[in-house]
Amino acid sequence: MSESVGHLPHHGGPAPHEDPRPGLPRQRRGTTPQGFGRYPDFDVLEQVGHWDEVTRRVVMARIDVVPPIRFFDESEAATLGAFCDTVLAQDREPRIPVLAMVDKKLHAHEGDGYRHAGMPDDGEVWRRVARLLDAEARSLRADDFASASQGIRDTLVGRFAEGELDGDGMSVEKAWSVVMRMVLSAFYSHPWAWNEIGFGGPAYPRGYARLGAGEREHWERPPEFEVDPVKDVKERGVE
Amino acid sequence: MSTRSATLLRGARRPPDNDSAFLLDRHRRAVPGRETMARHREDEEVDMLIVGCGAGGATLAQRLARRGWRIVVLEAGPFWDPDEDWVSDEAGSHDLFWNEPRVIGGTDPVELGKNNSGRGVGGSMVHFAGFVPRFHPSDFEVRTRDGVAADWPISYADLKPHYELVERELPAAGEHWPWGNPHGYPHSPHPVAGGALRAMDGARKLGIEFKVGPVAIANGSFGNRPHCIYRGLCLQGCKVNAKGSPLVTHVPDALAHGVEVRDGAMATRIEIDEAGRASGVTYVVDGLGHHQRAATVVVAGYSIETPRLLLHSTSPRFPDGLANGNDLVGRGVMVQGAPQVAGRFPEEMRMYKAPPPEICSEQFYETDRARGFARGFALQTVGPLPIAWAEHVLADGHWGQALREYMRDYNHWYTLGALSELLPLSENRVTLADGKDVNGMPVARMDYGQCDNDRANIAFAKQTLHDILEAAGAQDVLTIDRYAHLVGGCAMSGSQETGVVDSDHRTWEVPNLFVADGSVMPTQGSANPALTIMALASRLAERLGDKRVGADGRRRVAVA
Repeated sequence: MSESVGHLPHHGGPAPHEDPRPGLPRQRRGTTPQGFGRYPDFDVLEQVGHWDEVTRRVVMARIDVVPPIRFFDESEAATLGAFCDTVLAQDREPRIPVLAMVDKKLHAHEGDGYRHAGMPDDGEVWRRVARLLDAEARSLRADDFASASQGIRDTLVGRFAEGELDGDGMSVEKAWSVVMRMVLSAFYSHPWAWNEIGFGGPAYPRGYARLGAGEREHWERPPEFEVDPVKDVKERGVE
Repeated sequence: MSTRSATLLRGARRPPDNDSAFLLDRHRRAVPGRETMARHREDEEVDMLIVGCGAGGATLAQRLARRGWRIVVLEAGPFWDPDEDWVSDEAGSHDLFWNEPRVIGGTDPVELGKNNSGRGVGGSMVHFAGFVPRFHPSDFEVRTRDGVAADWPISYADLKPHYELVERELPAAGEHWPWGNPHGYPHSPHPVAGGALRAMDGARKLGIEFKVGPVAIANGSFGNRPHCIYRGLCLQGCKVNAKGSPLVTHVPDALAHGVEVRDGAMATRIEIDEAGRASGVTYVVDGLGHHQRAATVVVAGYSIETPRLLLHSTSPRFPDGLANGNDLVGRGVMVQGAPQVAGRFPEEMRMYKAPPPEICSEQFYETDRARGFARGFALQTVGPLPIAWAEHVLADGHWGQALREYMRDYNHWYTLGALSELLPLSENRVTLADGKDVNGMPVARMDYGQCDNDRANIAFAKQTLHDILEAAGAQDVLTIDRYAHLVGGCAMSGSQETGVVDSDHRTWEVPNLFVADGSVMPTQGSANPALTIMALASRLAERLGDKRVGADGRRRVAVA
């Protein structure tokens, strides 16, 4: 394996809960979650004028309208908000309002087309995950998950991801897949996340023309690192 | 101007007996002719009532309407207007899927919804990637050749003329195809993105050959369908009308020949008369019950809804559901193993560009006993957008900052996928669960598990993908296990004891009840099923139209 991929988790890159972020520049144009990104001069929203009207309405609503919390109660929202922040490493503003997006979907009874036998419906899975995380946090002497230290939250989420929490009759592996499906779908549907990863976004009716390796449309921007991954790997002695 | 002279002027090669591409509007994507569509009374006995307007139902309706049949198609989902209803966005395309509740179980449960189900006129092909490979001749005789699963009661030769017809209607674009029964395509291969070229190079070093295509995307002039703009959102519904789905390839011509498509119409029961024949279908629109009489009923709701409707249509004569006297309805439902392996490259690949279906290899399609399992797999490109890519990263075990870092690296990755032929197993089946939907109809439950042959196949395919990406110079790889496609559940068979329908798609138990979708497939090969579903419907239409099999169930000419 080449040393040049030392920024990636398999090759000495960040652990799930590592901070500070490894050599990322501050975003200079537009917004990214937490204000960092790989493409500091790329703002996908500068392309809105090239999107078809229907797509523009759907995508812009994600930025313009933060839906109120209606499905979860206050305590569930606090716990699950902290869960979403932890699992996505959203540790400061600006944050993509992931839990509000999840709440909106559950409030509208918008299904995803299946549920595992023996599992409750998706909304109930979320509520049980909230109770589960709070109970586990209390067993580690915190008041609840939301007020627990970042270290405890990271530990618990890590155990949840490994299927090691006690689901009280519910499969935690399946619960993990239910909640993460919705978390990822909300986060990576948001244009701020597209800025962070350099995704070109909606492309109708304009389309894409530069398809080759290393090629960009004239309005796409190159990635940028402040830390040379090769040097970084050597300095940190991780390879 | 007539469509025929317009064709001459536009220089497109016209498929025989299907004007769909020429009936579309050049400036709007909605299907013309909805306002003037034929309307039938519910107490009128139409010649044929089809449940489901996807690859099977729409193709059958279009063919037989041209023969003068009076046809009504019931479609549970909407009659799409791509301009208004579809968006160039991943999460915003959620409504293209069958999102109604279903239960999944078994040792290796199959997640439903996106990726393997459709809802609305055009069916799942509205959001399929676009790959349209043929089955190989061997697929029809796997029991004889490889000692697994079952032979089909028909052969490749029966479907070949229909493959050729449908490929002209879609139209299919690709290189000359060296595998299976070698053949060419009506349209030239599309240009491919940098990642696909890199993968082809890597494969070549290992002696593995890829070809470009075959995809149901016009490459050049084709009626009033615009050229592909390579925006990469094929799985979100083609707003361009460049990618073929029944909505643009068969529904326009069907409407022009008198087919009535009732959208938002959810079939709940097939009714049976005193003679044990299907008399019509009960369905629900906006919560209100309706009933349409018909001389022939065809179910084309795909591998979950078709068994569900048959199982729910109980009566004193058929207490276990229609065509289920031998307890085979819903059994043998199949998915393909579809692991994906992504490779990280020094250059940006930006895999969101170009259609996800780019290149394909069928070099591993046939049985090679040295590999330690029967049958094989195909290799294809995938092109996940950010949400699908995030699921891929999560599946490799990453969350938090590690997930974010792999996501920030998105543009450096390129993804290949396999389609492993998994075998039909009797215990993999669709049944009715305890819960009910909004119409009071029991929801479907799908149980699924793999056998040892399946696991060996998937493991070998994953290793092959891994090797290709390494040979191509990938610096890191991520792997995700998943499934794709759905077929089987109402298998076609040579005898009443071994299947649900005969070689003419007619249920063994009810003479005027047919199944015309992917559920009739006894095996699935390693090919994406859309083209074969259409070709089967095309063949059935020809046999019904020629009266080689009577719609009333009386066989007029012996079937070979």
